[in-house]
Amino acid sequence: MSRGNTFLSLILWFILALLVIYPLSFLIIESFKIAGTNQFGIKNYLDFFKDPYYLKTFTNTLFLGVLVLLATTLLGLPLAYILARYRLKGKTILTALILLPIVLPAYAGAFALIVFFGKQGTVNLLLLEWGLISKPINFIYGLHGLVFIQTLHLLPFIVLSLSAGFTNIDPSLEEAAEVEGARGFKRFLTITLPLCTPNYLAGAVIVFLWPFTDWLTPLIFGLIDFLPSIAYINISYHFTDMYRKYIGIVSVVVSSVICVAIFLISKRWVEKKKYTSLSKGTTLEGRIIEPGIFITILSYAYMVFIALLVLLIPTVLGLSAFSRRWVLQPFPTYWTLDNFRLIFLESPLLLKNSFVFSGVALIFGIIFGLPAAYLITRTKVRGKEALDFVITLMLAFPGIAVGVSYLLAFWEGIPLATHWIIMPLSLFVRRLPYFLRMAHASYLQLDISLEEAAEVSGANKLRTFFNISLPLLLKGVFVGVVMFFIMAFQEISTAIFLYRGGWETLPIGIYLNWHRGMEFGIAGAMAFLMIVIIFILLIIISRIGGGILGAAWGSSGGRY
Amino acid sequence: MKKKFFRGRIILITIFLFFCSALMGEAQAQKEKIGWVGPIYKELSDSLMKGFKDYYKKTYGKDIEITFIRPGGWPVCVDKVRAWKGKPDADIFLGAGAPAHEILKKEGLIVPYKLKEWEVIPDKWQGMKVKDEGYYWACFAPWIVTNLYNEKVLKVLKLPPPKTWKELLNPIYRELIVQTLPYASGTQHEAVEIHLQTFGVKEGWAYNRLLAAQLARFSTGSVDTTHIVSRGEVPIGLAQPQMNAMVARKDGYPVRDLLPDKTILVPEAVAMLKNAPNEANAKIFLDWLFSMAGQKYVLEGGYFTARKDIKFTAWEKEGVAMAKHAREALGVDSFWDLKVGFVNYDLDLAAKRWDEVNRYYEYEIYRKWRELKSSLFLIEEVEGEIAAAKKKGVDVQKAEAKIKEARNLFEFEGQYAQARLTASEARSLLVGGSR
Repeated sequence: MSRGNTFLSLILWFILALLVIYPLSFLIIESFKIAGTNQFGIKNYLDFFKDPYYLKTFTNTLFLGVLVLLATTLLGLPLAYILARYRLKGKTILTALILLPIVLPAYAGAFALIVFFGKQGTVNLLLLEWGLISKPINFIYGLHGLVFIQTLHLLPFIVLSLSAGFTNIDPSLEEAAEVEGARGFKRFLTITLPLCTPNYLAGAVIVFLWPFTDWLTPLIFGLIDFLPSIAYINISYHFTDMYRKYIGIVSVVVSSVICVAIFLISKRWVEKKKYTSLSKGTTLEGRIIEPGIFITILSYAYMVFIALLVLLIPTVLGLSAFSRRWVLQPFPTYWTLDNFRLIFLESPLLLKNSFVFSGVALIFGIIFGLPAAYLITRTKVRGKEALDFVITLMLAFPGIAVGVSYLLAFWEGIPLATHWIIMPLSLFVRRLPYFLRMAHASYLQLDISLEEAAEVSGANKLRTFFNISLPLLLKGVFVGVVMFFIMAFQEISTAIFLYRGGWETLPIGIYLNWHRGMEFGIAGAMAFLMIVIIFILLIIISRIGGGILGAAWGSSGGRY
Repeated sequence: MKKKFFRGRIILITIFLFFCSALMGEAQAQKEKIGWVGPIYKELSDSLMKGFKDYYKKTYGKDIEITFIRPGGWPVCVDKVRAWKGKPDADIFLGAGAPAHEILKKEGLIVPYKLKEWEVIPDKWQGMKVKDEGYYWACFAPWIVTNLYNEKVLKVLKLPPPKTWKELLNPIYRELIVQTLPYASGTQHEAVEIHLQTFGVKEGWAYNRLLAAQLARFSTGSVDTTHIVSRGEVPIGLAQPQMNAMVARKDGYPVRDLLPDKTILVPEAVAMLKNAPNEANAKIFLDWLFSMAGQKYVLEGGYFTARKDIKFTAWEKEGVAMAKHAREALGVDSFWDLKVGFVNYDLDLAAKRWDEVNRYYEYEIYRKWRELKSSLFLIEEVEGEIAAAKKKGVDVQKAEAKIKEARNLFEFEGQYAQARLTASEARSLLVGGSR
């Protein structure tokens, strides 16, 4: 163990302590404060668990998680199979399409859904106009609407993880099963699906935990009784009622503990179950089947169905982006470019902030992530597993937990929250695992003998890194960089707690324009702009990373 | 050698740049400054910043740097000023109604300043205080706790806008009303307090139970309510800062103000903090804010104006864009022309029981919302059956007494399950009575 490595590890630990452990400890301390006194105790927790209302919000959240997971799995399973196995034309376009929901914040989709399916939305207005109904139908307000929008948003996670699973299966295993007589559906159920479970679980955990972190989408539909939503209301609107605030913080701590626990259990399970096989007959593409005409037609029909669902949101956002005052009419009537003019000329600040904050966060990410990946994969430095563990855990932490703890920790003492640097810092911490996983994977693929050769030839560690490792790592790192940037670019659940006047980003702008400025056109234009920007970035990584699927999934949390 | 030369240059340039930035920082330190703290909407602070900066530059030939701190709703803002312990980080407390300013005055956190045009603001309006007689605070942007409706949707539904609080209970408006939770919005809290002070505590809560059964949904804040009504998703919204209708109209939504029969005035006011670090600029700002020019920026920021001598029609001719929307949303030419019925509002009482009222609403109405509705709907069903039986000549005396008991349990005791049970008993009495 070299001294340099120990020193490096100490620096990284110091950063983690300052930006993760220190603020989260504030969150926990605050949750033990007893309102109206200077004392600490477990009263808030007792109250929380004794109160049937909070139990209800908890079971509601759990139930939502189950429903969304079921819906995404049912919708996603056939699609993933089609994408992974059948040789069909136009697959690439569809793959790109189904990634669309990931690039947009979930609530932007909820807004679009209200415009289209609301009581005075396009569908209801048309039905009324045609005389098919006399009163608007409630299409979306309620649990069903919430499940629908979250399913749409989270579908890519399931499809990407499952299709990665289908592709990774050694064809010889399935062929062997077929020789033994397990054909078609039986083979699928007994061989293919079980082999996919580790991959599936990786995606399923993200989907299942989502309702524990997304507080905004339920609120848009007028549903308050979910754990993160009630936590948000209790914390943000407590005025002078400290008890309300502490109970809100307790809800945040409880959801964080649940998220982390489920995440860790599934992680262990996956590691135990991981089917490793010495591959003999596999290819990079996995097993590809030439489908018959019937299957081809069915597959296309299904793909078109999903594409229509997924395209609904960007279409509605696009229509509103180029129009104004689209309200109480089935379609926009007043077309304009004014929304974009406003964004570019009058408030370019939002665009600038989005790029600057995500960019600075990215620089932090690289400065931290590369050495961290190096330490974890290449050295025997003590505590490297713990380092990996803490960083990976950030995947499970709800954004609201990071936001609130940053507000608590960095106001006095270390007053970072009074400076804009808090925005990129929080983005960096929240999205760090995305970059690290990618750098990590690239390091694992890099043959260590190359580095050793350089060192034998007299190059020191730093020089070896810059002249040998870095150029070889670049591809993987670059994909990680772009993915990190994308995820930072669309972050809102932490940022909304920390932003102050002048620090608004595009996602915050969308939220404010829908909620405060009333004018949906500007929000639509901002969302449209986000889609365009992120889509360009996705295309860049697909060029470098070889296929959008692999590139995006490689770093978006699919691998632990 | 060459390398070294370059390195030397880079170091020199860095040092030079460092000094430049230090000098610039120095220059900035000498710049005129003013700080505001308060709960006003961003649109207003943006508008006032722009207006005051222009005015300052034009009048004094210098730039002024404005900082605005908005830590939260008004109680949080007051807490912030308290936390400064007499050494404030701002000069002006900008926004919030009389309760906030009365607390600040009582605790000695603000100081009096007599405005140059003190007389242009009314002392009182229909019994409500608009400025402090001791010059501590004055209202620069008055508004009324009001309701809101979507003209177009109500027209399609062929429904008249409900004019009074009681009219909102009419079954024709069921599921057509939206409001937020009193703990998610100060204005909604005040609306509940208005009910309690208008009808009496017991009757006020009974009213809120009945009203809750009329709601389509709860929104997440008063601006969310405005938005839901503007889009027509729910056509009637309760507990609105009055200017929200004006701002929504500006954005092209067919909404109008709906003044209830009893309400309160929120005299959004301004005051100078004690030991203000930039006292001279604070005074300049206060005088500007109440000048005709300053008031125009108030209106452009989406708030109504406080001067008595302002006519929206005159400003429309001058090209003040917002004046038209203000006139259309209010239906009068000056804010003070509104005819409003005010409740004799006890500020101290309201402040004292703030958290208590919020909690009662949360525990007894919001959390039991479903149970509440099913209970009331059953009572209404049975009441209908009793009326029908009465028409047929059935003896309904006992059933009538029972259903009255059920209603009592529902409205005044808030015992929803018990009320349901009693209603079922009344129904069985009715069936028994007809035999």
